[in-house]
Formats: sequence, structure tokens, C-alpha cells
Amino acid sequence: MAKYLKNLIVFTVVLLLLSACGIGSVQDANASEGEATTTLPELDPENPTKITFYSYSLAYPTMKEGMKKLINDFNETVGKEKGVVVEGVADPNFQQYRADIVAGKEVDIVQNVFPMLDASRLSLGFQAYEDVFPEDELEEHLQGISENARQLGVIDGKMYGLAFTFSTPIVFINGSIFEEAGLDPNDPPETWAEVKEYAVQIKEETGKDGFALEPDNGWVTDGVFFSNGAQILSEDRSEAMFASEEGIEAVEIWKDIYQSGAHAVGSTTEVPEQFLAGNLGMYITSTALHSGMKAAAEAGGWELYGGPLPQFGDQPSVPVNSGSALTVRPDTDEKRAATWEFIKYVTGAEGYTTITQEIGYLPLRTELADQEEYLKPFVEENPLYKINLEQLEEIQPTTIWPGENAAETSAIFTDAIVEAITTDADVADTLNNAQEEINGLLK
Amino acid sequence: MRNNQGNSIGISTLESVPSKKFTAKKLRLFAKPYLYLLPTFLLLWIWMYYPLFSTFSLAFQKWGMVPGTVPSPVGFENFVRLLTSKDFGVSILNTVFYTVGIIPFSIIIPLILAVATHNMEGKMKNVYRTMFFIPLILAPVSDGAIWRWMFHPTNGLVNTVLLDLGIINTNIAFFSDPLFAKWLILFITGWKMMGFGTILFSAALTGISKDYYEAISLDGASRFQQFKDLTLPLLSPMILLILMMSLLFSSQWTFAYIDMLTRGGPFGTSTNIYYEMYKYGFANMDVGLSAAAALMFFVVFGIIAFVFNLFSKKYAFYDN
Repeated sequence: MAKYLKNLIVFTVVLLLLSACGIGSVQDANASEGEATTTLPELDPENPTKITFYSYSLAYPTMKEGMKKLINDFNETVGKEKGVVVEGVADPNFQQYRADIVAGKEVDIVQNVFPMLDASRLSLGFQAYEDVFPEDELEEHLQGISENARQLGVIDGKMYGLAFTFSTPIVFINGSIFEEAGLDPNDPPETWAEVKEYAVQIKEETGKDGFALEPDNGWVTDGVFFSNGAQILSEDRSEAMFASEEGIEAVEIWKDIYQSGAHAVGSTTEVPEQFLAGNLGMYITSTALHSGMKAAAEAGGWELYGGPLPQFGDQPSVPVNSGSALTVRPDTDEKRAATWEFIKYVTGAEGYTTITQEIGYLPLRTELADQEEYLKPFVEENPLYKINLEQLEEIQPTTIWPGENAAETSAIFTDAIVEAITTDADVADTLNNAQEEINGLLK
Repeated sequence: MRNNQGNSIGISTLESVPSKKFTAKKLRLFAKPYLYLLPTFLLLWIWMYYPLFSTFSLAFQKWGMVPGTVPSPVGFENFVRLLTSKDFGVSILNTVFYTVGIIPFSIIIPLILAVATHNMEGKMKNVYRTMFFIPLILAPVSDGAIWRWMFHPTNGLVNTVLLDLGIINTNIAFFSDPLFAKWLILFITGWKMMGFGTILFSAALTGISKDYYEAISLDGASRFQQFKDLTLPLLSPMILLILMMSLLFSSQWTFAYIDMLTRGGPFGTSTNIYYEMYKYGFANMDVGLSAAAALMFFVVFGIIAFVFNLFSKKYAFYDN
């Protein structure tokens, strides 16, 4: 009899434990769903709410320190005052957050990229801002962020991602190489023809490579096409159309510079190292690399200059943006409130000041560049940023390849560009073949 | 004992029917060895057969691996897509290239090194063998980083030396050049795997009795004849083993360097079947296509392994 009793006790304890971790949490989740979202609960500074922030910037050497500072600044000021502790998680390949959500860990805020937004919303439980945050507070906070940027994260009329960090292409210039070649670094090349001229002059005078835009760069390429009036996808995104006359012409001009002997060779992993080592005159890449470039210039004893994306003849150039959005999935009311505090901070004036100064991304609140207490001194000291802030007017988003085969189609496109530019292959044939193959996949 | 049985309802009922008791005992005896084997079977199922069967079924389905979604059946569509894809053909040709190309590094050079160091006396023998073995124990990621630095287009040692010697007049981006990328991947993998063969051959050489050499040299055989008529036949089981391993595993060995150094590029010219499978599955999130490629790979390499087994039974010479 005693034995049965013992079994019964063990059984009851196990059942209790199971229900405590299983059923209990289900009830919690249900509680947060049905409630109205017009108000957020008070947070308790004595007993702070912990939330996690998954960020790819935390995984890259040139951005890591800046992102850490942003999180620490929040924790020490607003976080301490209101009762929020944010824990940053490095997520270099956008895999960690998915793995952790599947494993049942708490993933509250993710620095997501736009192409993944729809998939995140559908399958990983990310929520619309309108559904979790009070509408009036949201509207008030979004003032000062341009309508274009806001629309990037809107799907079916609701905002699933708030544009966060933004980058545009810029021509980074090594001042001492320019001067050595008899060029003025304050007068960057305006057209692609000038790019070639300057590059060849640098090669002849200094022996160093004059210019680089890696054929496999993946996103600036879009800007090269757009600048020559070419499209990559049709308006409704159902068809690739980059092998147009304008597209072929743009690639041929790029190829001509590449094959001139003054263009650096190598891939996107190799060329930045060459520029950082001070062996390259001009390099087109993302503004996000600014802090790393500046540090390298200081260490190497040369000055960093910059210029806008070059244009074809007298057509204005069309820069593209790459960027990230903040996506949220708070599962309790406290977390809703805590998440909102963090988002308000990082996309507010202080947040963008840190992001631009310490990481290099552009401030989405462009007026900060004119405000003495925020970014005005920085922009004056780093005039490169004026170039990018001016470019924001002409900007177009990079191509989001549609559908399930996005990774495959974008790889075919990049491969075709690399082949057309680096080999003797005929540009028109190469682009046409790739376009045909992609359209086969898009059907 | 008897008292205990009396208390238990189950056994006392059994006692009244002797034939049933007999079968229960028999069953226990019969089941016992299988119970011991059960953990092994369970692990084999979890790690080998369950994934194998899922691959078979996933090859005929479409699935993005997103939790909460269900794979949908698509028949042979994945296979059709594979066979019409441009890169898949290239990846097969490259797999053959890497498989054949690795043989000098896994068999011929190691055999020479093992024989050359075998007759050495003293400490140098171990110093040399350690040198050959070190690349094998280095992590592929750090190997890859070292080679990447060496072959860097502008900051790398190789380019600097070639330029200084006047052999080339412009920098070469080795890993972005279809002419070099594939060969460098092969060379680096070969460099890495050389120690593997050397150690195995050295071990096999120690197993050959010295008496044979004494006998054959009394008969007046030269060093080369000794190697050809004695060493080689006695090493044949090991040669066949390493040959089979390098045929079956060369694509796996090259994977890390493809991923680190070229990512299959430039424009897909240095990829192999393993890397394509990885790309389909984990970059494109298309498990069905990846499983279909794995299935074809499984069948082809299964046949190679089977043929090889027959072959090695016929040609390997065992010294009993």
C-alpha cells in the first residue's frame, strides 16, 4: 500500500511540474492577446523587465562597438529610469533568431532585413506596430521619419517593421593617393568617364589600383543600372528586364573600367582589405563601413575623402539603399511597454546620433544633421555625410527578388554580372541568358 | 520466495497454467539479447536511418523548413529542376574533378613520403611525420584564413613574390579567377589531407615483417624491385582503402575551402555537389531540392562503393 502511495505522490508532483511549465505559459500567452493595445502598463524600475535584441550589427567588427554603446546607453539612461534591461544578441547571418524562436527562447526585437519581413510576419510571429503599441504614441514618434522610409516596412496596410539603419553607396577616397597622383581629393569624379580617367591616372602615377566596385557586391550594382535608366525588375515584379539596352550599356562601361588595368581585382571580402591597407584610390561601398575606414585612415596616416555615386553622362545618378528594420514580437504587456521604450530610444534623436557617429549608418531623422546638440558638429567634421544626406532625395530601394526562388534568382543575377565584367564573355549574351533563366524561375 | 509469489496476483495466475509460464520464460530469453541491442538500434535509427528515410521522402516534397508549415508533395519536380539547372551540371563535373584530382595527394605523395621516412633512423623520422600531419589537425577555418591571406590580390605574399620576380605584371585575384579558383581549392584540400595517407601508410609499413626484405635482398633484388614486388602488394589493402575513402569523401573535404575561399564562385565555377546541396537547403531554404540532390548523390556513390568492395576483394593481397 505504501508503494502505491509513493507512486501516487511522484505522479502528482510530476503532473504539477508539467502543468506549471506547460499549461501555465499557454495561459500567459492567451492573456496578452485579447487585450486592447491603446494603453501600456507602468513598468517597475525596482523590478526591471528583460528583453532581448537580436542584431547583425553586433556581429561585425566595424559596427560592433557602436551597437554595444547604443544598447548600454539605453540601459543606463531610459532603461534604468523606466525599468527595462535590454540584452543584445549577435546574429551575423539572420539564422540565430529563427533558430531561437523555433527552440522556444525569448526573441523580442530583431534587426531584420527588408526581404525577410514578409516571411517573418507569416511564420515567426512578428507583430504589427499598430497591434501592439498605442496608436497615438506611435504616430507621434514617427514624426520626422520620412514617409518613404516608413512605407518600406508596411505590408497589407500595417507596419511590420520600422526602418532602422540605412546605408547608401559612397565613393570612399584615399586622399594621399589622390594627391600623389596629382588629383584633388576635394574634387571627386562626377561621371563614370571621369572615374576611369582618374583611375588610370592613379595607376600610372602611383602604381596602386585606382578604383574598385566589386562585380559581386550585390547591391550597388542595382544603382548602376538605375542610374543609366535601366530597370532590373518590371513594375509588378513579375519579370526580370535588366538585359535592356541601357542595362547592357551600363555594364559595358563598368567592364571597360574593370578591364583598363586600373581597377582592383578580387571579391567583396578582399577589396575592402585593400582599401583599409591604403592601397586603393577610390572604392564604392556602403556608408556603414565609414567608422572602420576612418579608423584605418587614422592608423595609416592618410585622409579619408568621399564623393557621391557617379553618373552616366548628364543623367543624375540613382543611389540605392540597403537597410534594416526593427521587428517585434512581445508576448506580455510588460514586454510591450519595454519594447516600446527601447524602440523609441534607438530610433529617436539620441539613438540616431549614436548610430551615425559610432556605426556609420545614416540618420533617418535627417533634421538631426542641422541640430547643434545632435549631429551638426559631426557632419561638419565628416563632410562625407552631406553627400549621402543629399543623395537620400534620389534614393530607390534595392531590388527585392520576389517569391520562393529569391536566393536562386539573385545568385544568377550576381553570377552574370561577375562573368560579364571579369571575363571576355559578351555582355549582351551573358545578361540575356541570365534574364531568360531568371524569368523561367519566376513563372 | 514462495511467499512473495503467493502475494503477487500476476504470477500466481501464471503458475496455475504451466504452458503459459513456459512461453513467458522463453520470450524473456528470446528478447534479452535484443534488449541489449536496443540502445544501439535506437541511436542508429536516430542518427542514420531516420534522416535517410526523411531525405527519401523530402526529395519528393517542397518545404522551406519554416516551423509550422507542412511539406507539400511535388512528385519528380525537384529532380527535373535539378537536371535542368545550370549549376548542377557544373557541380557534378567539379565533383569528378576534385575526386580524381585528390588521388595524387591522398595516395601517390603519401606513399612516397611514408616509404621515404620509414627507413629513417632517429628523431628526424618523427619530426618529418609530424610536419606532414600538422595540416590535418589544424581547423579548416584557420587553414582557409591562412591561404586566403597568402593569395590575397594585393596584400598577399604570393602576389608580391610573383610581382617581384617579374613573373606577372598585374596582381591576380586567385580566388575570383575561374582559371585558378578550382585548382587552388584542390591544392589546399590535398595539402590538408596528405598527412592522413602518410600516417596510414606508415602504420601499414610497420606491419610488414623485416624477414621478407632480408629474404628478397638475399635474392639480389634492388631497392626499386623490393618496393615493386614486396611493399606494393603488401600495402594493396591499405591503398584500396585510402582510394575508396578519397573517392567517397573528397567532396566533403573540399567543402570547407569552397565555402571559405570562393563560395562556389566565380560564377559557380568551383562549386561541388556538397556545396550545392548546402546552398539549396540552407541558403535557399529549399529542402526538397537539396534532398533530391542528396538522393542522387547517395545512389551514385552507393554504386561506386559497392563496385569498389568487389574490386578490393579481388585485388587486395592479404599477408596472413
